[in-house]
Amino acid sequence: MSGERRGAILVGSAIVAAVVLVGVYLAAGGASYTPEKTQNPCKHRAWTNPEGLQEIAQQFTLSALDGAACQLGVSRETLARALATPEERERFTERYDITEAQLAKAVRAGLLRAVDDAEEAGALSPILAGPLRETLRSIPLDRAIELINNAESLLDQAQGILGPAQELLEGFLP
Amino acid sequence: MSEAPRPRVAALALAVGLVLADSSIVVLALPEIYRELDASVAAVSWVLVSFNLVMALAAVPAAHLARRLGPGRAAAIGLAIFAGASLACALSEHLSTLIAARCVQAVGGAAAVTAVLELLPATVGSERRAATIWATAGATGAALGPAVGGLLTELVSWQSIFLIQVPIAIAAAVPILAVARHEAATGVLSTELRKTGRPHLPANLALALISAAIAGALFLLVLLLIEGWRLSPIGAAIVVSVMPLCALLGSRVNGLVPSARARAAAGAILISGGLGGLALLPKAEVALTLPPQVMIGIGLALVLSALTETALGGRAPQAIHGGWTISARHAGVVIGILAVTPIFTHDIARQRHDAIDAGTAVVLDSKVSPLLKLDLAQKIGDRLDEEKGKVPTIGPAFEPLPDDPGERDEVVDLREELQDQLNRGATHAFSPSFGIAALIGLLSLLPIAFARRVEL
Repeated sequence: MSGERRGAILVGSAIVAAVVLVGVYLAAGGASYTPEKTQNPCKHRAWTNPEGLQEIAQQFTLSALDGAACQLGVSRETLARALATPEERERFTERYDITEAQLAKAVRAGLLRAVDDAEEAGALSPILAGPLRETLRSIPLDRAIELINNAESLLDQAQGILGPAQELLEGFLP
Repeated sequence: MSEAPRPRVAALALAVGLVLADSSIVVLALPEIYRELDASVAAVSWVLVSFNLVMALAAVPAAHLARRLGPGRAAAIGLAIFAGASLACALSEHLSTLIAARCVQAVGGAAAVTAVLELLPATVGSERRAATIWATAGATGAALGPAVGGLLTELVSWQSIFLIQVPIAIAAAVPILAVARHEAATGVLSTELRKTGRPHLPANLALALISAAIAGALFLLVLLLIEGWRLSPIGAAIVVSVMPLCALLGSRVNGLVPSARARAAAGAILISGGLGGLALLPKAEVALTLPPQVMIGIGLALVLSALTETALGGRAPQAIHGGWTISARHAGVVIGILAVTPIFTHDIARQRHDAIDAGTAVVLDSKVSPLLKLDLAQKIGDRLDEEKGKVPTIGPAFEPLPDDPGERDEVVDLREELQDQLNRGATHAFSPSFGIAALIGLLSLLPIAFARRVEL
């Protein structure tokens, strides 16, 4: 075989090897092997038929985080990490140049959205939702954050306080 | 000549391999140096960049000096400086002294490598064979560097990388001393001082571009393995040793295909294809880096020897033109590292943020109890703080696992899903840089094609 032909075979083989490797890796999903994109918090996330207080509390927390994050213009995940500890919260407000008052307003708005979502999903009766909204409108920031992190206690308390009244009212309804 | 040619050829090849291994030998040691000398990532990269930059600047002047002083004396002095500077590197307690010692090491190395090219033809009896031995020794050294450096860092310390070079440099210098003594005794240079021809621009330009791509391959792959996928230096060394092994395989093809242009083109295509594969890794698995490494290793052997042969072929004096190739290669390494460093440091910060967001979403949407979620969120936050901006190993945040079997299974699934998101982020952070390195490799085909036109 002539030297020139060997050279052509070598170059051809290199091209084939390169194209095959890149093609196989692309077909195996190489172009999409990235972290999953997080969802826009301003977009409504439908509740998925929650059963039991714990599941309702989970969805309530997510709705509250979505609502607050939407108002602050950050992702739900960033806000969730920020609210985990006081140090994280301080870092977050410094990084995004947010005042405590702005954060409090956003967190309250988030909790109100969660009440709306819960009511819409049929997980919270209108009789409970009304007073809950009134309470949340003036709740202090630390307590509001506590409620986001442990919504189960809020719903449990609301049920405990307002449950008998609801049963009473429901008795009068047709 | 009192020395038998074989040990002298081995010593000359060893000198070239040793010096050129130094252009990449510290890659796997950089994280260790960074931690021990309390430096920033950008500052510690100068341990690598300074050596290559000084080699690029000093190679041609060193070659001229070698021709005036005599190649035997220049090689012996160069190796002595290299050995002394290596010792200084090992004893450095500050980053500034380490970088200064690396610069001196490069000056000595440049003198030794260019002088060896002047000595080799007389020893092996053919300029072409001398160029092939010189290029192969250099390519092998450069490819072996990271693996050897990684092993020494893990088994001993980063200082041992430099300490071990002292006796090797002395061992390589011993057979050369006979030539140096002969030059000193006779006052006659072993080579005739001839007029220097112009350097082969297309071949040297292609060498610079391909070296930039290879630097990207080695530097990025090592960082991906250690910083991205959390392998130990020894683990990363074993993984990247595939490249030099395949370079040895590729050097066998050199003998089968006489056309240097075809070998250069094939080598550049294989390197670019391999880098393209690394840019498109479909999963964070070490095994998936092997096919690209095989291609890069074979390509490395093909392209470096072919371009060096072309740059030196029919040109005199060899040391000066060898100096140009060294200059081009190391300038390429510097350009490659400086070009990809800001891109991947930016991408790794962005991907880390995206991966952490995606991981948080996984935790938030999981079915584990809210109190456990809160506990996990705090532990994960602590892990992120401990890792100071690196991609964290998330496993310890999930310890101890819950006692309840159902909840334990959910937490294990959650841990795997979260680590997957972080792995995706770490892997994807390197993709654009590998892609750019692949494009630089493809760009080298232009001067290779142009070299063909001027040669014809």
